[in-house]
Amino acid sequence: MNVLVWTAVVVIGGAGSLLRFYADGLVSSVAGRDFPLGTMVINVSGAVVLGLLSGLALSSSQYLLLGTAAVGSYTTFSTWMLETQRLTEERQHRKAVLNIVVSLALGIAAAALGRLIGMHL
Amino acid sequence: MNEDSLKLTSYFGERQRTADNGFAADALLDLYGQRGIATSILLRGVEGFGARQRLRTDRSLTLSDDLPLTAVAVDTRSRIEGLLESTSGLLRSGLVTLERARLLTGDLDVVGPIEMPDDETKLTVYLGRQERVYRVPAFVAVCDLLHRRGVAGATVLLGVDGTAHGTRQRATFFSRNAATPMMVIAVGPGERISRALPELGGLLRDPLLTLERVAICKRDGQLLCAPPALAGTDEASRPTWHKLMVYTSEAALHEGQPIHRAIVRRLRAAGISGATTQRGIWGFHGDHAPHGDRLLQLGRRVPAVTIVIDAPERIATAFAIIDELTAEQGLVTSEAVPTLRPAGLPPEPASRAG
Repeated sequence: MNVLVWTAVVVIGGAGSLLRFYADGLVSSVAGRDFPLGTMVINVSGAVVLGLLSGLALSSSQYLLLGTAAVGSYTTFSTWMLETQRLTEERQHRKAVLNIVVSLALGIAAAALGRLIGMHL
Repeated sequence: MNEDSLKLTSYFGERQRTADNGFAADALLDLYGQRGIATSILLRGVEGFGARQRLRTDRSLTLSDDLPLTAVAVDTRSRIEGLLESTSGLLRSGLVTLERARLLTGDLDVVGPIEMPDDETKLTVYLGRQERVYRVPAFVAVCDLLHRRGVAGATVLLGVDGTAHGTRQRATFFSRNAATPMMVIAVGPGERISRALPELGGLLRDPLLTLERVAICKRDGQLLCAPPALAGTDEASRPTWHKLMVYTSEAALHEGQPIHRAIVRRLRAAGISGATTQRGIWGFHGDHAPHGDRLLQLGRRVPAVTIVIDAPERIATAFAIIDELTAEQGLVTSEAVPTLRPAGLPPEPASRAG
């Protein structure tokens, strides 16, 4: 672990959150705003990538940079929770439950799929 | 002070920038602060769209960085007229309207009966966020008083910036923001509001309020009148547009979504020039006691106000949609608003906001 790796974590982490900001904006403006689809797309796609990385044989530094820094900053648990809470405060209970259940189901499937792809690469 | 004044209102997007690349909202409120405008307030809406039909909403976190803003400034005619050119210059796009209002400050006992007591009146009381009356938040005390005096409804909106009695009061992160402005908007018969005025004067240490005439189009789902026809222009030959204000509750749903969300979506689909929803923090309508959020709750219990502004030729379309969506509840008022810069005629079409 050296200064270079930590600097790279900072830079890649920043880039990951910017990518999330633009990807969420893009999905939300294309797909309508009644359901937080942007956050779901980000979390599911992040789960595929993280699953894939875990299937590859990476060094600890590579895993830190790609897994923790890149995917960790790209995906977001807090936004998922906040947007679900915003749905409940407007009494959109069905959408709130869907947002939790579908994200969980798709997320776990995505991670498994990524891992499967990673192991066959 | 008790005199005829003007109310300058600007509707624009939060990310909109001025020619020298600052945020338009900051520049506008800097201007109001420098000029010592009697009262001004910057409100951040939860959803809205303008002439370019771009929807701004707080539904997703990422989209919440560009919400619809409403900046209101009230002062004497000459002081507001002195702001018109600079305000228009700062805003590249958006809508600017100029309404007549009566501004009351100081001793409200000497106000006397307001003219046309038979008319429906809109009362706006400007308060500070932490202002208290007998150990109760001032907005709660004002709502209680108006409720007891039989006023049809009131909604409390929280500002994020503004001026009060000529001094800039901007909300900042590390502060109590005690004097950051908030407003209580109430609608009711002129006679009942005028009776409440001396009591408001007794309640508030430094009262600052405005009175405007409105027409009530709908109350509790009942249609009273369609928006009245307007003279085409005001005395300065500015085009006069309609302003509809729809007071609903966050709890009132239309096909599973809050009425105010349904109204904004449907109006946008119908090509109306613009609408903005503000979510209140406290309020009441009709017989219900004033209410707001609780500490432990699932759904919110606050009022929402949706402002719709359009040219006379399109207002019937807008009103038909609103009438349909407020079939069971909601208060709808109509006012005539001279527009300085009608939406759809922005000087710089390349800008992002609209």
